[in-house]
This record gives sequence, C-alpha cells and structure tokens, in this order.
Amino acid sequence: MAGEIFNPNPTIFSTKPTVRKSDLEKQSLWINEKVVQDDNADGPDPIDQDEIFDLIRSIDDPEHPNTLEELRVVSAPQVNVNGNHVLVEFTPTIPHCGMSTLIGLSIRVRLLRSLPDRYKVDILLEPGSHQSEHAVNKQLNDKERVAAALENPALLESVEQCLSGAGRRGHSE
Amino acid sequence: MASAERLVATWMASARDEEIEEVITEISNDRITLLGIVKALGEYLTSEEDELRTKGVDFLSLVLSRCPANKLNRQSVRVLATFYCGKLDDTETIIPALKGLNTLTTLPACSPTEATSIIQAVFSHVRMRALIHSVRFQVFSIIDNLMARNRDALKALGKAFVAGYISLAEGEKDPRNLLVAFAIARVILIEFDISDHVESLFNITYCYFPITFRPPPNDPYGITTEDLQKALRGCLTATPSFGPMAVPVWLEKLTAGSVTTKRDTLQTMALCLPIYGSALARVSARKLWNSLKLEIFQPTDPLTEEEALKTTQALVETIYTQEEDAIESDDDVQGLARDVCEECIHILREPEKNQARPAIKVLCALMATTPSVSRFTLSQAAPYLVKLFLNPDEVSNRAPILLLLADLTNAARDSMPEEMTLVPMMPYKDEILGVFSVGLKAISSRIPALSLLRGLVTTKNLLTDQELEFIVHSVDEVFQSQETENNDFSDSAILEVLTTISMTSPRHILEQTLPMLFSSLPDQAPYRDAANERMACWRTLLALKTLCVHPELFETLVIRLTTKVDLICLPVTKRDTAEDTEPEAAYAHALLKTIADTLSAKVEAGHADVAKYIDRLVPGLYNLFIFSALQPEHSWIVIEHRLVRAAAEIITLVTQCVPAQRQANFVAAIFKVLSSGELQGIAEGLQKIPSNSQMLLFNESASTAQKNLLALFSAGVVTAHKEVLPSPPALDDFINQLLIWSITRTDHYLQRESAWHLISSVVNKHAETATAFLEDKLDTFWPRYIANAEVILDQRHQAIQAWVWISKALVVRKDATLTRFTDRLFEVFDDDEISWDAAKALGQIASADQILIKRHHAVIKILHAQKFVNGILPRIISGAQDSSKLPHEQTAYLVALTSLIKAIPKAAYAHEMSSLMPLFLRGLDLPDFDIRADVIDTFLAAAECDASERSLVSEHASTLVTYMLKNSMVDEMPSVRVRTAALQYLGVLPKIVRYDVLHPSKSTVLRDLAKVLDDPKRSVRKEAVDTRTVW
Repeated sequence: MAGEIFNPNPTIFSTKPTVRKSDLEKQSLWINEKVVQDDNADGPDPIDQDEIFDLIRSIDDPEHPNTLEELRVVSAPQVNVNGNHVLVEFTPTIPHCGMSTLIGLSIRVRLLRSLPDRYKVDILLEPGSHQSEHAVNKQLNDKERVAAALENPALLESVEQCLSGAGRRGHSE
Repeated sequence: MASAERLVATWMASARDEEIEEVITEISNDRITLLGIVKALGEYLTSEEDELRTKGVDFLSLVLSRCPANKLNRQSVRVLATFYCGKLDDTETIIPALKGLNTLTTLPACSPTEATSIIQAVFSHVRMRALIHSVRFQVFSIIDNLMARNRDALKALGKAFVAGYISLAEGEKDPRNLLVAFAIARVILIEFDISDHVESLFNITYCYFPITFRPPPNDPYGITTEDLQKALRGCLTATPSFGPMAVPVWLEKLTAGSVTTKRDTLQTMALCLPIYGSALARVSARKLWNSLKLEIFQPTDPLTEEEALKTTQALVETIYTQEEDAIESDDDVQGLARDVCEECIHILREPEKNQARPAIKVLCALMATTPSVSRFTLSQAAPYLVKLFLNPDEVSNRAPILLLLADLTNAARDSMPEEMTLVPMMPYKDEILGVFSVGLKAISSRIPALSLLRGLVTTKNLLTDQELEFIVHSVDEVFQSQETENNDFSDSAILEVLTTISMTSPRHILEQTLPMLFSSLPDQAPYRDAANERMACWRTLLALKTLCVHPELFETLVIRLTTKVDLICLPVTKRDTAEDTEPEAAYAHALLKTIADTLSAKVEAGHADVAKYIDRLVPGLYNLFIFSALQPEHSWIVIEHRLVRAAAEIITLVTQCVPAQRQANFVAAIFKVLSSGELQGIAEGLQKIPSNSQMLLFNESASTAQKNLLALFSAGVVTAHKEVLPSPPALDDFINQLLIWSITRTDHYLQRESAWHLISSVVNKHAETATAFLEDKLDTFWPRYIANAEVILDQRHQAIQAWVWISKALVVRKDATLTRFTDRLFEVFDDDEISWDAAKALGQIASADQILIKRHHAVIKILHAQKFVNGILPRIISGAQDSSKLPHEQTAYLVALTSLIKAIPKAAYAHEMSSLMPLFLRGLDLPDFDIRADVIDTFLAAAECDASERSLVSEHASTLVTYMLKNSMVDEMPSVRVRTAALQYLGVLPKIVRYDVLHPSKSTVLRDLAKVLDDPKRSVRKEAVDTRTVW
C-alpha cells in the first residue's frame, strides 16, 4: 500500500481514558474498598457505546503511527448501539482520503471478530466528510464485497497491521 | 635417537595422539631434541610422495605446537622458520607449514629478522583464494601474532606490508577470520603509514558495512552480529582519512537499507563523525541532515528515530565543539544548527499537527549538544512558542503549544550540567510563567500547562521562592475550583507538581495548600446518600496522603486528622441520624486510613520521624478506642472491625520503627492490660478514662467491642524486638489461655486473627524456650480440638487456623519441630469434615503474610519456603497419585497441592512440573471455583518460562484447550474469576505452543469463543475479545 501519502501532516488530538458513569455510582461507603465482584448479584452489563468505542479506538491509522482516536477518526459519540444493531460512523482526516475504505474495513474486521454474531453492524462515513462518501459506504456494508476484500492476502495483511495494536483500548503501552 | 625415529615411524602409521604426547615428554626431559625429530623426519619431509610429505610437516607442526617454549632457542626458531617458509610454495605442505608458523610466531624467540622473512614468504606464496577458511584463519593468526610481538619489524616493511596485507585480506568472508582481520586492520589504520593505500583499505573494510551477518544456529565459534559490528566499527573509526569516502556510503545505506541496516548505519555515523572531524562534517552537513531528517520526520520505528536523533546530535557536536570558544553571541552560530533550527521552527508554525512532535524532538536533541548551540536553540524556540501561544488566532492550539514548551523545558533542564549555576531557561522564565498561568485556567489546556510546570519546578535554581508561592497558589485554586466536577484528570498532575515543590520548600504547601485541604474536609460525615460529597472527601484525603510524606507536613496532618477523628467518633452534639453510624465509621476509617497510608509510605522511605509518633499518635488512638469500648453509647467505633483494623495498622507501622528500649515500656504496659486489665500508661487523650476502670478482655462478660480491642494490643506486640517480648515458659499460661479463648469465646474473625498473630509472633521470636508450649499443642491441643469429631465444626476449623499460625512461626525460622505439626495435618486428610481445611492449611502455612516479617523483627531464615516445600511436596504428589487411597482423601491431597503451589514461588516447584501437570488437570475438575482459578493462575505463571515446560504444555495442549473452553462458558461456569482466568490462559497458549499442535483445535476455539463474546460481564468479554484475536 506504499506510494502516495494522502495527508502527510494530520492534526493530533489528545486522548483521555473513559470513565464509566455506572462504575462511579457503584462506590461503597468505605474508602479503598473494592466493589466486590459478586458473580450474580448485579445483573449483566449490556454492550454499550463505550465498550464498542474501546474496541476500535486503538486501531492504528494506515498512514501514521497514531491511533484512530488520536486522529479523531472515531469517537465515542459516533458509535450507536440500539438493540442488536450497531452503527459506527467515522471521519477521515481529509475529504479525499484514499485510505477511508481501509480504515472502514479495519473497523469492520475488528467488530466482526469482537462482537457476538447477533449484532448487525453498519459502518458509515460521517455525512459530508468525504468526496466519494456514497461509494465507500456501499463498499463497506456490502457483505460480499467485504468478504471478497478479505480474500485478498495483501489487503488482509494491511488490515492486520492496522489491528495489531487494537488491544490497547486507549491505553498506551 | 632411535626412540625418536621409532616414534616418528609409529605416528606415520597410526597418526595417534599418544606418540605426540610421548615426543613432548621426551623433549621436556631433554632426551630428544627438536633437531633430532627433524632428522628423524628427514626422509618424510623431502619425500616425493605428496601424502608422506604432508604428514611429515604436519607431525613437526603438531609437536611444535605443544612443545614447551623454553626448548626453542633463537637458533632453532630461525632454522624452523626458514624451513617452513620454504614449504609454503608446496601445495601439499602449505597447510601444516602455516600451522607451524602460527606456533613459531607466538614464541618469544622469534626475532624481527624471522618475522620479516616469514611475512615476506607469506605474502609471496600464500594465495588466499585457494585456501579453505580454517587455513586462512592460520594466516590471519600469523599476522595477528606478528602484529602483537613484532610490530616494529612489520612497520619497517612500510608500504609493502600494507599492500601485501590488503591483497591477503581482500574478499575474506568467514566471520571468525573477519574478527581477526578487523583487529589487524585497526592497528594498520592507526599506526602504519597508509597514505598510499587509503582507498584499498577503505575497500576492504567498508565493503563489510553494514554487517548483515546472522549467526547460523549452533555456530561452533559463537560469533554474534554484535561482535562483528563492534570489530568493524573499530576499523571504521580508526582513521579520519576514511571520511570523504564514507559519507556517500552512509547516504546510500540510509536510503536503501532495511531497518537493521539503517540503525547500524546511524550508530556507526554517530561514532565516526567525531573521528572524521569537523571539516568533513561541515561540508557534508546538509546532505547528511537531509537523510537524517527523513528518519526523524517519517520514522520507520521509534528506535530508529531515536538513533537518528543521536546521530544528528553527534553531527552538530562535531561541527561546533571546536569553535565553541569562538562563539560569543547567538549570531555566531551559523551553518547546520541555524538551518535545522529554522526548519523546525517553521514546522512548529502548526503546533497541533503530526510533524510538530519530531520537530520539537530535534530541537530538544540540539539542546543536548554544545552549550552555544543549546543556548541558540532555546533563544529561537522559546520566544517563538510563547509568541505563538499568545497569538489570538492560535487559541484553539494552546494545549499542543504548552506540550511543546514542556518538552523544551525538560530538555533545557536536562542539558544543564551539574555544576552550572547559569540556568538556560532563566531569560524566558517570566514569559513562560505567564503562559503557564493562562494555560492553567482553561480546562482544555490544563494538563499540558501542568506538565510544563513540572518541567519548571524540577529545574534547579530556576524559580524563586516568591514564584513558587505564586505557583502553589494558582495550582491550589485550580484544585479547589474543580472540586465538584473533577472530570479532566488533572488531579494527579497537580499533586505531582505540589509533591515536587514539597520536597524542596514545604513551607508553601504548609501555609497554602494544607489549610485549604483541611478546610474542605467536613466535621461531620457525609450522609449515606451524599455520594458526591463523599467523593470530594476522598479526593481531598488522597491529596493529603500524597503530599504529607514530608516530616513537617506529616506532623500537621496527624494533628488535624486525629482531631477530626475524635470529633466524628465522639461528637459533642448528637446527629439526628445517630442510629445509622456506618457513614461516621466509614468517614473516620477513611481519615485513619489516610494516616496509615502516609505512614506506610514514610516507613518505606525510611523516614526517621516515624518513631516519635509512639508518643504523639499511638496513646491517643488507644485512648479513643478504650474510652469508647467502656461506654455503650460509643462502642460502635470499636465494634466496626474495619475502623479497628485501620487503627491497628497505624500502631503496627509506628511501633515497628521504635527502638527496643522505648518498646520495652510500651510492650510491658500492653501486657499489663492483657493480664490484669489495668489501663495506666497506655492511653492518653482528651477523654478521661475513669481511673478505676478495668478492661478484662478475656472475661466471659466482655462485650464484642472490648474483645475487638485485642487487635489494637496485638498490633503493638507483634512488632516487638525479641528482647522486650516476654518469653515462654513464663508466658505459657497466657498464650494457652489466649489460644483457647480464640477458638471458644470470640465472636469475630478480627479477634481470632489478632490472638493468633500475637501467639505466632511470640512463638517465632522465642521458639527455643517454647518447647513445652509446642509439645502441649501436639499432645493435648490437637487431639482435643482438631482430631476430635465431637467438637463442633466451627471450632475445629478455627483450631486449624490457629494451627496454621503456630506452624507459620516455625516455618520462617526453619524450626525442626515443624514437620510434626504438618504431619498432624496429613493425618486428618481422611476426615471428611475437615480434610479440605487441613489441606488448604498447608498452603496457608507456606504463604507470605504481613506479620512475620523482618520489619517486625521476626526471626526469619533465608529459603525457608523452599525448605518447607521440598519437605512436603513429594509427599503430597505421591499422596495425590496413590490410587489405593480413598477418593476423598486423594482429593484432599489435590487441594493441598493447589493451595500450596499458589502460595510459593515458582522456582520451588518448577523441577516437579512434569509430575504436577496431570494432577493440576485433575484439579480443574474439583467443584471449588477458587481452586480452579488458582490452578489456572498457576498455569499462567508457568507459561512465562523456558522451553522444557513449554513442551510439557504442548503434550497436554488439546486437553487444556478443552478444559479452558469449558471453564469460560457462562452456562457452565458461574464464577467470573474462573472465566477470566481461563480465557487469559487460552490467550497465552498460542504464544507458548507451536502452531501445528494447536491447529486442530483452532476452529473449535474460534467458534466457542464467539459465544463467549456474548458473556454478560464486560470484563469477561474483554478477555474473550483479546483471546480470540490471539487465535
């Protein structure tokens, strides 16, 4: 995938860890006392926006040594969970970015591997953020074309490369 | 003579080592001379038959190589040298001849004349290309030997030698030979006249650059890439005359090479540049910088980037070091440094962009070079960034600008030499402080502003006292203002800055920060539902805990917080919700815990002021709790075990630092309370304890509150020095009574534990006089309270715990009585009711605790855990394997095994791993979830180790995969801990087991993990995602 660099000097944003509101509210009266992990006492934690954002925030950008979060390609408010339906929107750093499909594909693969199969995932470009928005959206949400793309070893390797750091979940290590 | 001939003849036929040995012995005893050997060899040496000639010369060389040096005089060396040189032009004898020469050149008797003739013969007869690498090695060794012993003779040959050597060394490929060749080349380059041969020498050295050699597996010589690199660099850095030719090579390697080539090139450049001199560096600066820039601004990886920065530094240093004295003002800095600075500052015009990071890195790197360049860089960068910050158009970019300034400040700090009093940052201090105080006010730029500040306060001699006061003031304001919505994570940064300041000038913290913090702590506990208020308190306490480690600050902390605790525990006016005392207790606990945590940090740091709190803090605590225990309406304080525990922790931390002398009174006072209930001399405080009151903890009528007090007393005793602690047998009655009390009359775990800690500490420190007590336990206590089915179960369990603590006291001092205590535990493995407890007890005995430690003056011998494990592990293993035992007894052994393994360091059982593995797998079937989790944790620990155990894991891989999958399903395994651990281990497996072993399971694992991705718990899902990614 070498060759033209679409945006040689993108803006880097600072990142900070997400704090789950529900975690704060669980605090006990006692200082330093860990909330005991009672196996069945509190109900299941549903998969939410933050959790899905956690999965994709540390995917590496194909062009730069930065994560998608640092480049504000993805952000928590751009993730929407509704029942078994997940909608992820992402914003390329510049409107003519040729890497958009690869970024979208990386997000797609990451979620494919990390979410239970009961979810339907839609990955869309943030409206108005890209010149060929419609074409990219179509490509990313077409099952056949995604499958075909993943049969291409070179493409799969670039995707794997982007995903190699995805397990960091916003922490630097 | 006859014997020489006979030996030669025999060897010719047999080629055995024995004959050579014999010849050497004969020579050493002067029965044969070397000349005699040559004579005896006569016909072979000149034989027409090729093979015989080879053998003849070979024999001579072999003898020579083992011959004692003193048997060879100058004369014989000369003869031999001439002889060997004559043999060099014969293809059949050249190999042994070189061997002989190799030996000759190491001899002290080898004179310059011989050296010259040898080297000339080698040059004229040896054709390197025709020889195999081991023979070439002989040639290099010969030259190396001559270089070491007869260098002057070689020098006298002058250019002829250099030319001769170049033609010999050209085209060498063997790594072992190259190591020698590089060493020789370095000497030539440094000491010889190379003026006519620079280019040839350059060719025979730089052609190897950069080293791409990878040692083959099982390399017999063990030569590494690093060895070659180092030797080659020795050559490359040997002479400045390589410079002009080297630069193009570098540039080429940098553009074309792989990552390792690049890194090697960069490192070599950094080493060579200073040698090649400033003139060359100046001329090629532009070209070099253009290449380096690529590596910095579009780095392949962070390591290469770092190397490129270092090389840039070397380049700049080479150029400017020489003219350092001539540079008086910044205008004098011309050339590369100026260009680079301007270039980087140009990039910094867009501070929020990606490229600003490397640009600031380059500037920081420049600041670590010569003082003048450093000064120049700072004078360019600092005012520029400040101006940029104040530019109204750049308001949105203030955060990144502050970060860049922070980097610059740190670099300025680090570039300061130790003794220098002139602080480089000084001229820009005011402006930067201004920038900081603006940046601090906006939430978006707060954290960057704080990291800038951190750089400023860690710079020595930069800030004045007044400025520090101002800084503390503004930081305090920020801390206070965000009290309600601390959502920007700046607390830890603020505290870090304040802590740094507190090290050098605690006064500002004491006068400004602490009053603010204390005033924000309420005098009454926050109500149960006031979560925000509680969070605010905790935040304040965390701040106090972090800041008040300094002795002066800690003193204030103790006074203020203990007053507050008194107020909360014994309020003047009762609160209307007095029935619900938990919020009060929790608040008091938080306050005490803050003191305890700070103390603990101080003890870690070895502060001397801890000991004095035996008079200032401890009596007050005793007073508060004893007073409350005597008054039913206040006794909730003492009933709340967490509160008591926090107080006990403080007492332990203080008393362990008190010298033995002072401890003596203190411990005596405690024992007086325990034995007679008299309270004098222990407590002292605001609330007056009636002088006639008694505290008989062990009476049947004692309340829970009173019994809980034992924790506080025990906390003061377990830290006692041996000599101040009363000893058995005088103490026998007391500890016996205490032991029985602990299992019969206590009503909370806290009381029992305190009793056992006390007993254990006494037994540990006085084991030699405690024989009667221990015998009594083995003979009376065991049959009566543990091995007695008539005792109620609870008491038996507790008695086993007491047993554990007595055993622990013995384990750590490697006491011989111990085995009898553990034997008893094994005896009850067949007792259904308590076998699991007894089994787990074995692990508990081995586990580390916080009571019997060096700081508490316990008697501890090294490797006690290993000794204990070696003693019982074989017995447990054979017990678990012994199928003649009843199933539940075998299970008990398994339980013992898992609990023991969990408690001990891995090294203690690693050698038994092969027999343990099947047992662990059986352990995974046990119904107890904690045990299963422990087993998996053990697997996880074992996974971080060497190959032998990995193969063991491979053997069981498919079984392990099945077990782990089963334990990760929410339907089959309700425990989150087990599910998490199982998934973690499943994720480790592919890293330690070869792919082909796991391949058959892959599809199953992926399919099953897809189900686990839907686990109800978030933490489990997280592990599942990670594990599935690994597979």
